[in-house]
Amino acid sequence: MTSEAAAGVRPKARAEGSTLRRRFLSFLLDWMIWGYIAYGVMYLLNAYWWTVPLERYYSTLTLPSWGWPLAVLGTLEMAVWSRNLGRSLGLKAFGYEVWGADGKPPTVGQRVKRALLWHLSVLPLGAGFWSSPERPWHDRLAGTELHVLPSSPAPKRRKALFSQWGIMSLLLIALTIWLGWLIIKIDPRVLIRRWDEGSRIWLEMLHPDFRYFARPDPAFELRNLSFSILDMAVVTLFMALLSTILGAALAFPLSFLGARNVMGFNPAGWLVYFVMRGLFNIFRSIDTMLWAVIFAVWVLWGSPLAGVLALTVHTIAALGKLYSEQVEGIDPGPVEAVAAAGGSRIEVIRYAVIPQVAPSFWAFTLYRWDINVRMSTVIALVGGGGIGDLLFYYKNQGDWPKVGAVVIVIVAIVWAMDYISGRLRERIV
Amino acid sequence: MNGYPDGIVKEPPEWLSRRRLLDALILRLKGAGQRLAIVLLDMLAIGVLWILVSYIISWHVYGVIAYTLVPWWLFGVGVVEAAAVWESFGRSLGHRLARKELRPRQGGKSTLGQRLVYYIAWHITVLPMVGLLASPPWHERLAGLSLVPFSMEGKKPTPWWRTSSGLFMAVFLCAAVAAAVSVTMDKESLTRLFTQAGRTVKFWKALFSPDTSILLPSIRDLVVTIFMAVIATSFAVVVAVPLSFLAARNLMRGPIGRPIYTVLRGAMSIIRSIEPVIWAIIFLVWVTARRAPFAGVLALWVHSIADLTKLYAERLESIDPGLVEAITSTGAGRLQVLRYAVVPQIINPYISFTLYRWDINIRMATVVGVVGGGGIGQRLYFYLKNLAWQQAGTVMILIVILVWAIDYLSARLRAKLA
Amino acid sequence: MAEPYLVVEHLTKVYERGQVLALKDVSFTVEKGEFLVVIGLSGSGKSTLLRCINRLVEPTSGRIFLGGVEITRLSAREMRKMRRKIGMIFQQFNLIKRATVMTNVLTGRLGYNPTWRTLLGLFPKEDRELALKNLERVGLSDKAYVRADELSGGQQQRVGIARALMQEPELLLADEPVSALDPATSHSVMQYLEQMNREDGVTVLASLHFLSLARRYGTRIIALKEGRLVFDGPPEAIDDAKFKEIYGEEAEQVEVR
Repeated sequence: MTSEAAAGVRPKARAEGSTLRRRFLSFLLDWMIWGYIAYGVMYLLNAYWWTVPLERYYSTLTLPSWGWPLAVLGTLEMAVWSRNLGRSLGLKAFGYEVWGADGKPPTVGQRVKRALLWHLSVLPLGAGFWSSPERPWHDRLAGTELHVLPSSPAPKRRKALFSQWGIMSLLLIALTIWLGWLIIKIDPRVLIRRWDEGSRIWLEMLHPDFRYFARPDPAFELRNLSFSILDMAVVTLFMALLSTILGAALAFPLSFLGARNVMGFNPAGWLVYFVMRGLFNIFRSIDTMLWAVIFAVWVLWGSPLAGVLALTVHTIAALGKLYSEQVEGIDPGPVEAVAAAGGSRIEVIRYAVIPQVAPSFWAFTLYRWDINVRMSTVIALVGGGGIGDLLFYYKNQGDWPKVGAVVIVIVAIVWAMDYISGRLRERIV
Repeated sequence: MNGYPDGIVKEPPEWLSRRRLLDALILRLKGAGQRLAIVLLDMLAIGVLWILVSYIISWHVYGVIAYTLVPWWLFGVGVVEAAAVWESFGRSLGHRLARKELRPRQGGKSTLGQRLVYYIAWHITVLPMVGLLASPPWHERLAGLSLVPFSMEGKKPTPWWRTSSGLFMAVFLCAAVAAAVSVTMDKESLTRLFTQAGRTVKFWKALFSPDTSILLPSIRDLVVTIFMAVIATSFAVVVAVPLSFLAARNLMRGPIGRPIYTVLRGAMSIIRSIEPVIWAIIFLVWVTARRAPFAGVLALWVHSIADLTKLYAERLESIDPGLVEAITSTGAGRLQVLRYAVVPQIINPYISFTLYRWDINIRMATVVGVVGGGGIGQRLYFYLKNLAWQQAGTVMILIVILVWAIDYLSARLRAKLA
Repeated sequence: MAEPYLVVEHLTKVYERGQVLALKDVSFTVEKGEFLVVIGLSGSGKSTLLRCINRLVEPTSGRIFLGGVEITRLSAREMRKMRRKIGMIFQQFNLIKRATVMTNVLTGRLGYNPTWRTLLGLFPKEDRELALKNLERVGLSDKAYVRADELSGGQQQRVGIARALMQEPELLLADEPVSALDPATSHSVMQYLEQMNREDGVTVLASLHFLSLARRYGTRIIALKEGRLVFDGPPEAIDDAKFKEIYGEEAEQVEVR
């Protein structure tokens, strides 16, 4: 009960401190949106009319030296006016609304006044916010308030599609798709123009050639040995298995170092926690395929070991993060009980933490096993070994029926493992 | 009784009624199914262990790959017999996983004789599978044993190393790891792992001293990657949303609906199990490498459609039927029910899944680039292949920042939606 | 007269950098063999008080002596040794739900065994026998190898008692041991505590919600209100006026039979 009372204190203090930050973020969002619109418009102008002196490159533009300040100030002005003359996306996203201090919707005059006064109030280093962050100068002088939505009176709102933020969202979506279309050079006509080529591939793949399913293909050699599709499939499964076991075994102890409640709240524990979580995050955001390239160059191009190492590294990071989040979410009751019986910290982990997290650890490991099977089927494309070696080999030969056979085997493996791991996870949870 | 003299029955006896017979049949099929599952599981486990062991032996002794070391028929007989022995004379893995055990019907401990009878009768019952339909199955009836739920009450547990299934699992695990190690780790790559670390030193150094001269073109590629993910995701949503209604079990009923559901789900799950990278390879041949980002987008698009359709449909399947009932009871039409009972329940999860998929697509877009699908991944692969470690490190930093930012953003937005 | 068994002096606990005051200058003493009941509304500081005594919660100021040792001064390692003598049972039982009853009971011996043994789960034979004996005492000997989450609430609390018994405690802290149980089970659990108090001479400190239970089992009652000690005396001394003072004006007495 005391902890509840204690917890009740914290959020309020945080909310008060963050008002200014939220306001700033909301403004920043609007500014960024207008920056993006400016970029998009310039890009489109450049792409279609070739009127602006820009470097014609497919995704960025180079502005003349006077262009940058102009762009920055122009988008800033647009952001300010859009925030005052209606409900901009930035206001909507953070639940803000400009409202008259008298409890009525602001008049147009008030809105314009507020926009003009904003410059006086914010540009001199946010002087208007110094006296009262809740209601800065421009609000007070224009007789308006910035409401956070739940507390503001419920007025008759316009339908989303007719409000400023609604129109803006549609505009942004349209602009993004248009830009993406140009940047990626999407051209559906190619699909039709090269239909013969495309359909030939598909047809050939749909007539798979299973001649070398169980018999080694003499044409395909790896380190002086020939392999069949089955052999490579088994290798692939072994790669996934080994990397999952290794990854889970290493992530298990590390995850406790990355859990706040286990590391305690002293500075040393905090440091370890922080370093562990940082490492997990960095290693996790480099994809397995990229790790595979590094290890392939390091170890040997096409060696399964490179694939295993790549999968292991990523598995450690991914599982480490998932595991430690589970450790942080345990019920503190048993921890208390074991400590009260005289258990040391390591005994607390052994008797109160591990039994609680074991099922979810297993579930995550099985889930990861599933992912590793998927990844190991393609990791060979970057030198990681496994069935992808065959796939790439046949594809380079243009032997699509055999590619089809390999793809079917891959689908079968992934399916089967997905099913098994799903069933096992159901049992555990 | 019902007014008739004794001995004359007007209605058929209750046990003959169709419902009762059907119920009994279903019950027996269920029992048979469970017993069959136990047997199959045991055979699978034994078979895989056999394969693992012969794999290790053939690889290390003969230097070839062989899966059984004996003719296939012998392998089959061996597996079946081993499963029979295990189930008859011990508590097999299947029993253990099904939380069942064999106990004499009269209570007490089972005798060796009973077990022997069970073992012999097992062949008559299980192999032709007819005896399994009897209740209790023939082999259990003959041996006077029955398969009952396992309970620990009033018992002392046996440590795992003294149970057959525990020992089996240990041996299995060791064999699997040994086989995996012998396949994936050859001498050459292991020695290189320990001697060639120097090759990557430049890369690790580059992570702290990026090459700023390639920053601008790299950012251009980064923008391409982001747009690839955005376009692929948004176009996938357009296709996946209508498909998800056709792939939801609870919405697709009847003779037309069910086949559509089955076909759609099957197709989606096949498409999903082919990694985007493989799709990219196929599309690259189709649209040519000159349009690498387009091929990448197509690959991501196809995979996203399959993934999103599955996620969406599963969400649809778990909507609260109460609300649908309530709206229907007001006399609303089908579309009105959809609009007022279904859509409000799924809109936030759908957006959340879309964001999640967008997050995945950003990662995937970098990976697809590696096989030539355009964007930042292609640049990274180019540098890595040419051993331009410093540049590769620079690009890697950019990727980490991007993935981090998107991960954070999508997690924050999803938390808000939940 | 000799020094009392447990002495609490000016105990104060402040949570969260001075924002919540859980205990304000609480002082009392307990003689060996007493059954002391702590009553008070939820949030009055009962749990904090009990947890300060075995230092699951670090007191902000004040001193606590147990058998002449100042436990507020002990190092973490010494405190762990001291905790062997202080058993504790909890409102939510705090069992390891996915482990067997046996394992749960054996955790009571953690303080007596070297860490390397407990990590491997190798408890000595005597401990296992003792565990079975204690389970028998709470009437659960046939459930020894059943998973803890398969038991009912009352049975789980009895496992909790067996776990505390394993420590061979001199002092037992019971934090609302029956709040999560129905009235009939409550009495059976309380009777086990009474038995420990009478037969094994364990000093018991129990916080309770219901005054009727406190009157029935306690040899002495202390009451907390908003972190302050507002009553200390025999059960009979709590009359209507005193009751209203502790529980507030609107409170009604509820009998638990």
